[in-house]
Amino acid sequence: MEKVRLTVYRSSGEGRGRFQEFSVPFEEGMTVLGAMRYVEQNLDTTLAVRWNCKAARCGSCAAEINERPALMCKTRVESLGMDSTITVTPMKAYPNVRDLVSDPTENFDISGRIPAFKPKKGLKKPWVFYERDVERSQEFRRCIECFLCQDTCHVVREHKSGYVGPRHVIEAAALDMHPMDALKRHVYLNREAGLGFCNITKCCQDVCPEHIRITDNAIIPEKERGADVFYDPLVYAIKRLKGENK
Amino acid sequence: MSLKKIIPPEFLEPNWRLWSFVLLIALGILALFAFPMKGYDGYIDPFYSPTVVILPLIGLFRLTCYAFRKYYHRHLFGHPPGCSVSERLNEAKRAYSGETGFFRVENLHRYFMYFSAAILPFFFYDFYLSLFWQHSLALRFGSLFMLADTLAVTIWVFSCHSVRHIIGGRLDCFSCTFASRLGGSVFKFQSRLNARHEALAWASLALIIAADLYIRALAAGLPLDFTILVL
Ligand code: SF4
Ligand code: SF4
Ligand code: FES
Repeated sequence: MEKVRLTVYRSSGEGRGRFQEFSVPFEEGMTVLGAMRYVEQNLDTTLAVRWNCKAARCGSCAAEINERPALMCKTRVESLGMDSTITVTPMKAYPNVRDLVSDPTENFDISGRIPAFKPKKGLKKPWVFYERDVERSQEFRRCIECFLCQDTCHVVREHKSGYVGPRHVIEAAALDMHPMDALKRHVYLNREAGLGFCNITKCCQDVCPEHIRITDNAIIPEKERGADVFYDPLVYAIKRLKGENK
Repeated sequence: MSLKKIIPPEFLEPNWRLWSFVLLIALGILALFAFPMKGYDGYIDPFYSPTVVILPLIGLFRLTCYAFRKYYHRHLFGHPPGCSVSERLNEAKRAYSGETGFFRVENLHRYFMYFSAAILPFFFYDFYLSLFWQHSLALRFGSLFMLADTLAVTIWVFSCHSVRHIIGGRLDCFSCTFASRLGGSVFKFQSRLNARHEALAWASLALIIAADLYIRALAAGLPLDFTILVL
């Protein structure tokens, strides 16, 4: 029977982990999560692996497969080539809890700091708005909070810059682009949330399992909105003349 | 230390995007400074349209273009060298300021875009001029070449992210006023081109260089041109 060879990151959550090799019988349509479940049930019951929906909807099984951030339940083993060993590691941007489980709690804290939806003044109820006005926000609402984009972002991963990361930029952009919302979050994003640290290298967009065009549709537009406020010499001169502080 | 350690690994990879950019830019610099040539036989070289004075602005437009930014941040500075590399070069030890330090200038992209958009008509004008040749109206192969490069540059400039912002991206509501309805429709159409912005950036640069080389080849006496139609 054909075998799937895996090398899996093991750790107790403290210090450096190690890699352990496993070999699992291949089944038609097997995913990396399927292989890990086989290991957990038959080869080593102490393996910690997190999953929930097995349908790419919950984001629990986010990990790094052959060093590329991906959902284990959405990655078929054949797609990785049957004759090579598959490396499975936890998301490295976050503290490791055990084995393949990392703790992305910081994301919920960041999320809490993003200015919440605030309706425009004087709106008549019921609110009426059209599909074409919320299409852009809806793209971002597809997000399943797997945090793979955060994990692949070199700014989040390597540099302590205070940048909130791509997932949170789309969260803010979804509110910003909503026709009923009154706030301008690009001021917050560019000033406090470190959007300037993103150098639009698009890795987040490349790994997103929901195919959200994070950089093109959220980050760049928010940078352009920020440029209106912070880098537009005309707007700056007018504000200066009027004696307004920018 | 071996040479392999000094040269970032991505320079040793067969990376056609990076190398084609390096080659195209090197050719562009040669064409501009080492071997300037304004045109030949009714064709005006795209580098000299309309005048070499505004070229630095066009250069800055290219350099601050989101597509080109991605390439040099990734492949020249290695921030990041790749999306899936686990142990990255020196990790946290490398200084990094993103677009908050020197690269703040990227935010001026739209102003460079205004200048570049302003010279686009000159490219069309040059195409028009190339049609009048030896006192008759003639369509030559070289004119088609110039038209192709003009169209590529125009579409690339139009697909710019700053254009996207200005024509409609800055609006939160597309159906609120007549102007925003119009903006919304243009935005939708432009977004489709914008999705191909990187490819267009590459194609337009390649075609400009190709047109320049073509005119140079004609000037050097290579029999590459032929007349398609004379009126
Ligand atoms: S585009 Fe920006 S947010 Fe996305 S991975 Fe690159 S640096 Fe991070
Ligand atoms: S934007 Fe995409 S990659 Fe990022 S958390 Fe949401 S679904 Fe995951
Ligand atoms: S198990 Fe839910 S996304 Fe993979």
